[in-house]
Amino acid sequence: MAILLADISRKISDLDNIPTVPALLVPLLRRLGEPAEKVSVAEIVTLISYDKSLTAQCLHMANSPLLGMRNRVETVQGAVMALGMTKVREVATTCCLLRALPARRGSLQPNDLWKHSLACAMVSREFARKVGFADPEQAYLAGLLHDLGLIVELTTFPKEFEAATHVAIAKRCPIHEAERLVLGVNHCVIGEMLAERWHLPSEMKEVIRHHHDVDHASTAAVLVSIVSLTDILCRMRGLGYGFEEVRQVDLSSEYAWKHIGEGLPKMRDFDLARFTLEIDAYIEEVERLVTTLFDLA
Amino acid sequence: MPSTDTMFPTRSSRVQSPSGVGFNSYLYQIRDLIYQIAGILQPDHRLEFLEKRCQKRMAVVGAGSLRDYYDFLTRSMNRTSELTELLNEITIGETFFFRNLPQIEALRKVVLPAVAENKRRFPFSRLRVWSAGCSTGEEAYTLAILFLEESEGMLKNLKLEVLATDLNDRSLEKARAGVYGDYATRNLSAYLQEKYFTPAGNLLAVKDTLKSIVQFSRVNLLDDSKMIFMKNMDVIFCCNVMIYFDGVARKKVVQHYYNNLLPKSYLFLGHSESLFGINDQFRLVHFPGATAYYKSEQARGGL
Repeated sequence: MAILLADISRKISDLDNIPTVPALLVPLLRRLGEPAEKVSVAEIVTLISYDKSLTAQCLHMANSPLLGMRNRVETVQGAVMALGMTKVREVATTCCLLRALPARRGSLQPNDLWKHSLACAMVSREFARKVGFADPEQAYLAGLLHDLGLIVELTTFPKEFEAATHVAIAKRCPIHEAERLVLGVNHCVIGEMLAERWHLPSEMKEVIRHHHDVDHASTAAVLVSIVSLTDILCRMRGLGYGFEEVRQVDLSSEYAWKHIGEGLPKMRDFDLARFTLEIDAYIEEVERLVTTLFDLA
Repeated sequence: MPSTDTMFPTRSSRVQSPSGVGFNSYLYQIRDLIYQIAGILQPDHRLEFLEKRCQKRMAVVGAGSLRDYYDFLTRSMNRTSELTELLNEITIGETFFFRNLPQIEALRKVVLPAVAENKRRFPFSRLRVWSAGCSTGEEAYTLAILFLEESEGMLKNLKLEVLATDLNDRSLEKARAGVYGDYATRNLSAYLQEKYFTPAGNLLAVKDTLKSIVQFSRVNLLDDSKMIFMKNMDVIFCCNVMIYFDGVARKKVVQHYYNNLLPKSYLFLGHSESLFGINDQFRLVHFPGATAYYKSEQARGGL
């Protein structure tokens, strides 16, 4: 059932025309590398406002307790004023990405992938803060986007991907290994192809490409490591793909610690057991947010 | 950083606690006494709890004030037994069967199969689990149920033992009796209730089949002379016990656990507990919804 790379490439170019991908997503993602101040507020506000359900989603998320707003935000313009461009861009990217998921139902429910992505975004940011990584907001976006390849697979190769999930469940192995067995390629490679086409910043590309083989990460090794460990942790705390993959993980053997340990001195004060527990606090909020966002879509 | 004064305040008068509520200075003396003798630390936020427990005992022994009670604890003929009574009051905890389900699933799906597989190479092997700080026995009997449910399956031909220890005599007494009410048994399926319990009025009494593999005994986890005999463990459960100890005592207890565990074995702690800064010989492992500490085949020297 192996997929040819040329096939993927062709389908990825078709993806641009898929109506479920909001017009705003690609321009937003392309500009992730730019400082938030440089992004035109007016342009973003206009683009969001064109799409009623996207507006509703953004406002809902902007008012979520996660962002710690004191007063309710009623308009996109108001959200920009109250939250600042960095947060609004984050909210808009989050909502846009959700729309890119097909409603098709298989072993991996779009709802679960969405929860996993959002959880990884939030936990990566918290992890980044805890270990003293310079740009926690970048970690949020990296966590959000790391499984971009899965969206491509769900959209363009649903049958083949479904077969891979069956293997993952039966063999109780991680999904990226099952993909390799069944498809000959995994969501890291496929995700990178889309990231390439969408001209995502190089560090996002690296996260998408190497979050399952961290030892190959280069310039963004610390960021890749943060997302990689967060990904595993979320999957062990009920914020995974909605099915059981592996039953035991020894995180201490992960290569990612090398990058983080070398790059971040605050790592020495990091209590992994306690942090694992703190992830549970996100479960309820992620569920609530995703359910409402889905209803608004 | 708290100064020595706030940890062990001067004994002159009533002392302000951080919450602004004043406590009798004899309460602090009693706290020190408990710490010196049993190694159990009552942090500031537990002082109110400690005061209530003392008051309960004061009513029994007829002490009119904390000062009188302190004298009773230090000077009376019955001081040793009274201290035990007070410790019983402090360390009592309510729990229930199958309390931490992700932890139980990790034990059933990963740990027991792995441990049993290692044992299979040797004939007449024994599987030993220790419930340290077993309180009234719910955890220990839960482990025994898991064992017996697998005794014809993956644990076939293994001699199964659950050792359960606590400092609190009254808890142990209740554990040995094995009679439980609605609260303790609320997570038990009808099937398990039927199989391992007999009704006793409104209560459920543990059947002898279950009791036969559980052995209860009184052990102070800080008593080195006893701890060195708790050998050859395959799994240790020590849930919500460490909160009673200070840093030094925790390190000591966990070191004993490490020494008493066989290679390729596991230590489970309570839901919110961590060995960070206490011990770095164990490896933290993750299961779905649970964590445990793993002792690998070879003890790592130094690093």
